[in-house]
Amino acid sequence: MILLLALALVVTLLGGVLVGGWLDRVVAGRGAGPLRAAAALAVRGSVRTEAPDDLLQRLAPILYLALAAVGLSVVPFAPGAALVESPVGIVIWGSCEALTIIAVFLHGWSPNAPFPLIGAYRYVAIALPVMLPSMFVLIAAALPAESLSLSAIVESQRDIWNVVRQPLGLPLFVMVGLTLTLRGPMDYADAADMAGGTSAEEGGGARLAWEIARLAMLVSVSAVAAAVFLGGPLGPVLPGPVWLWFKTAAVMALIVLAGTSVTRTTPSRMLGLIWTIVLPLSFLHLGIAGVLAL
Amino acid sequence: MILALVLFAVWSGWRVFVVDSMVRASFSLLASFVAVGGAGVLMSASYIGVATVFMMAVEMMVMAIFMVAFMMNPAGLNPMSMVHQNRLSMAAGALAFLGLSAAVLTADLPDRPVPPETRVVFDLGLELLGPSMLIFETAGVTLLATMVGAVVLSSQQGRFGSADEGSRPPGLTENGEPAGRVPDESGGHHMHHGGHGDHGGDVDGASDHGQGHDHGGHHHGHAAKGDPS
Repeated sequence: MILLLALALVVTLLGGVLVGGWLDRVVAGRGAGPLRAAAALAVRGSVRTEAPDDLLQRLAPILYLALAAVGLSVVPFAPGAALVESPVGIVIWGSCEALTIIAVFLHGWSPNAPFPLIGAYRYVAIALPVMLPSMFVLIAAALPAESLSLSAIVESQRDIWNVVRQPLGLPLFVMVGLTLTLRGPMDYADAADMAGGTSAEEGGGARLAWEIARLAMLVSVSAVAAAVFLGGPLGPVLPGPVWLWFKTAAVMALIVLAGTSVTRTTPSRMLGLIWTIVLPLSFLHLGIAGVLAL
Repeated sequence: MILALVLFAVWSGWRVFVVDSMVRASFSLLASFVAVGGAGVLMSASYIGVATVFMMAVEMMVMAIFMVAFMMNPAGLNPMSMVHQNRLSMAAGALAFLGLSAAVLTADLPDRPVPPETRVVFDLGLELLGPSMLIFETAGVTLLATMVGAVVLSSQQGRFGSADEGSRPPGLTENGEPAGRVPDESGGHHMHHGGHGDHGGDVDGASDHGQGHDHGGHHHGHAAKGDPS
């Protein structure tokens, strides 16, 4: 059973990365297919900056990818069957979210170059406050389940999905997803306005690893959203994993679309928006969810 | 397994003092805390263990940024020593080690494994919102006050104007020319530079109203000011 779930996790991540690359191509409407783009990146030469921190530079994409895998490991593929069946599943996911900020920061800090460094600082300033709405949204989802376990949260949605019961949750979580995957309006790390930000000085295999890790995190955050708001593996006729895959793909498409259709504002204005609008909104959401769960 | 995690925690804790940058030190400390959190999970304290990881991830990130901000080490990239006040630190460390060891040796620690059906998270919740509420809330408010203080201290816009007004970056060598930009001397309230720059050397200290070049770098400052123009 454990082996089967581990296999499901690897297949989901690999397949999801391919689907994510394909979605990026379809939605953006340009560029080569994911495999060809990956091959082009892989054969390209790498750049070496002056006095980089080699260890942290290598660790950053590995950490990012590992966090995506750990985050996915708490998502149940069938009711009550996650690879890591923990009583504190969403807290494990929350840890992955927080450590993602560090992976991105280290990715920008380690090359010892201006653009990556500015990207790293800018990203931390935006991503740290985004963690607060994320925690509120996840706690709100845990309230009707009366448990921090992701399997219990899925089980609590047998009658009605959380996306209906807590309508603000999914939009707020999509914002978290955009932040964790460095996309569109929340991409303050690798944006084009800074020549690629934390990736500005990177090419070749290292860049490829980073892009794969980004897509893997997209799969992970979408799977968590599918489990928390869309009932995860619950559904008629088809087996649990298939439902989870469909819902994950749907959330992935939603995040990719939101990434390309919403414009990015200046970091200072975004910071104001997060603290004065998104955070109170998520607190209101938690309050309503709490009252409803009583 | 626990032993490996604990040894890793000690090793990465030691690395904090060996590495030569605030950022590396912060994340070495984080690695240490993550290992301690893992040990906590293995000892059936699942919530406390995992919460340690995400609390420390956020805290160490914030700490790295504030340390770089306060240390004036450009972006934390210049090598710098991580140790100071060695005698005092060694004494404090030895005292803390002895005290904690004594506490471990004298305390009556439970040795029964936690039964798997125990609702540890539930019990922890009751404890935090019951008998331990005062401790918990006091710590929370103290931390919040610290955070507000740190933000106020590092904020550029203070009650008395911009925090970096007239400030200059530290020299690249001791008493050397400042690194980076030279403070803008044209704007603002400067009176004595316009017509009588010839006796600039006389008006040191007292008559210089916080324009920043009151210390050893005075003459270098003038030289540097002349260069770009």
